[in-house]
Amino acid sequence: MRAFGYDLDVLVVAHVLLALVPVLVGLLLALPLGWWAHRSPAARRVLVPLSGALYTVPSLALIVFIPVVLGTPILSPVNVGLTLTIYTVALLVRSVAEALDAVPATVTTAAVAVGYRPAGLLFGVQLPLAVPVLTAGVRVASVSAFSLVTVGALVGIQSLGTLMTDGFQQDYTAMVATGIVGSVVLAFVFDALWLALGRALTPWSRAGV
Amino acid sequence: MIEFRGVGKRFPDGTVGLDSLTLTAREGEITVLVGPSGCGKTTSLRTVNRMVEPTSGSVHLDGRDVAEGDPAELRRGIGYVIQQAGLFPHRRVIDNVATVPVLQGLSRREARARAAEVLERVGLDATLAQRWPAQLSGGQQQRVGVARALAGDAPVLLMDEPFSAVDPVVRVELQDELLRLQADLGKTILFVTHDIDEAIRLGDRVAVLRVGGRLAQFAPPDELLAAPADDFVAGFVGRDRGYRRLGFVPATALRLSDLPTRVEGPDGAGPPGEWTVLLDGDRPAAWLGPDGARHDLGSLYVTDGGPDGTAASDGAGTLRGALDATLSSPAGRGVAVDGEGRYRGGVDADDVLALLERDPAR
Repeated sequence: MRAFGYDLDVLVVAHVLLALVPVLVGLLLALPLGWWAHRSPAARRVLVPLSGALYTVPSLALIVFIPVVLGTPILSPVNVGLTLTIYTVALLVRSVAEALDAVPATVTTAAVAVGYRPAGLLFGVQLPLAVPVLTAGVRVASVSAFSLVTVGALVGIQSLGTLMTDGFQQDYTAMVATGIVGSVVLAFVFDALWLALGRALTPWSRAGV
Repeated sequence: MIEFRGVGKRFPDGTVGLDSLTLTAREGEITVLVGPSGCGKTTSLRTVNRMVEPTSGSVHLDGRDVAEGDPAELRRGIGYVIQQAGLFPHRRVIDNVATVPVLQGLSRREARARAAEVLERVGLDATLAQRWPAQLSGGQQQRVGVARALAGDAPVLLMDEPFSAVDPVVRVELQDELLRLQADLGKTILFVTHDIDEAIRLGDRVAVLRVGGRLAQFAPPDELLAAPADDFVAGFVGRDRGYRRLGFVPATALRLSDLPTRVEGPDGAGPPGEWTVLLDGDRPAAWLGPDGARHDLGSLYVTDGGPDGTAASDGAGTLRGALDATLSSPAGRGVAVDGEGRYRGGVDADDVLALLERDPAR
C-alpha cells in the first residue's frame, strides 16, 4: 500500500522488525543476567542500578554514539536495534530477577527436596512460574521499543517514524497522524500478543478455588 | 534406619543450629522431632537429604553415609513433605505426584499410572487428578503432598511440619490418614513438629529438642508423659500430661457394669425413675433421665477395635477413653460399645479411678 510517497507495508515491516528483534534478543540476554542477580546479592547490587542507569541515557545519544564506538555505518539499522536491545536488557534484568524472586520459597524448596538439579529447577519450575511477572516486564519493554523505533527516523532509519519526521518537514498533518496512529496501533497489537502468549503459558494462574 | 552421629551445624554467622545430635530413627517407625522454634528440628531433618550439610558429625541412611554420592540422586530416594505442601502450582495434581517417578526416569505415561495409584492410596478422588493445586482445599493439597512423597516408592519419608497449616479438624483427619498409611506401608518416617500433641499422637518415639539443637529426651510417648527427663521436657509436654498419658494405658482390667436399659419403642412406658440407656436395636441411642427426658450419650467407651477390625481410634480401649466416657455422661456413668457400635455395658467412674490407683507408672 502506497501513501505519501512511501510504501507503507515496507515501513510497517521495518518498524516491527526493528522493535521486535531487539525485544527478543534483549529478553534472551536479560534471562541469564537476571538469574545471576536473583542468585547473588552482590551481582544484584551492581546489575540492577547499572541497568537502571543505562535506561536514563537518551536514545538519540545512543543511536549516534554506537557507530562511533562500533564503527557501524551511521545509516545502519543496527544502531537502532542495538540501542533498543540495550534498553530492553536494562528494563528486563530487574524484571527477570524479580520474577524469579516471586516464585514461592516453599515451591523451590520442595523442588530441591524431590531431587531437581539446578538446571531442571530453573527450566522446569522457576521459569514457568516466573512467566506472569516476566510477561508484565516484557510488555513494558515491547511498548517502549515500539515507540522508540520512531526516534531512528531522525537519523534516517526507516520506520513509521519516517512519516512523522517527513510529514513534519512538509507540514503535512495527515502524514504525521498516520505515522503516530500506525506506531501506536502496532505497539498495542504486539502488547496484546505478549499478553496472549503469557496467558497461554500460564493456564494454572487463572485456576481459582 | 536413619542414624545421626554427633551431627552439628554451625552457620557462617556463628549461630549454632544444631549442637551434636546423636539419635537413631528405627526402621519402619515414626520418629518425631519436637521442640520450640529455633531448636534445630528442621535443620536436623534437612541434614538427612543434604539440603543442609552438617559442619560436624555424619548422617547415615541404612548404614551408608549420606555425604557420599550425588545429593539429587539421594533426594530422589527420600520422600519429603513440606509445610503448606509446596506443590508445583503450574502442574496438575497428577503431574505433581508423578514428579519423582519422572525424575527417576520413568516415561510420563508410566509415571502418571503410578501417580494415579498413589492418589487413590491417600484417599483422593480420581476426579481431582486433573485439577490445578490452587483448586484444592488445604487438606487436599497436603494429601497431594504426601502422595508426591510416596510416589517415588522411597522407604524413608521426611515430614517437616506437614499438617501445621491446616485447621485442627482437618489436621486430625490427616494424622489418622498418616497412621493408617503407615500401618500399611511401614515406612521409616522422620517427622518434625512444634506441636507436642501431634508428636505424642503420631510418634513411636519422640525426640524433644531444646534451643540450640540439644536433645533433651528421646523416648516413647508414654514414657515422655510419665517420666519427663527434666523441667524443660515437663514444661514442654504440658500440665495435663498425666491425663494425656492415660491415652496410652490400656484399660484391660476394666470391668463393665450392667446398666438399666430400655428398647426404643412406642411411648407409654412412663418415666423410668432412674438413669436408663435407651437402645435402638443393639445400639445405644440416648440416655433417659429419671423423669423420662432424653439426654445425649456423651462420649462412648470403645472396648476394642474399629468397625472393620482396624486399630482403635483415639483413646479407644484406654483408661483415657474410659474416663472420658464417665466424665462426659449426664448420668455419671459411661456407656461402653464394641468396635461395631453395639451396646456392651456401663463404665463406673469408681472402677476407672480404682484402676488409676493401681497404675504403676503414676
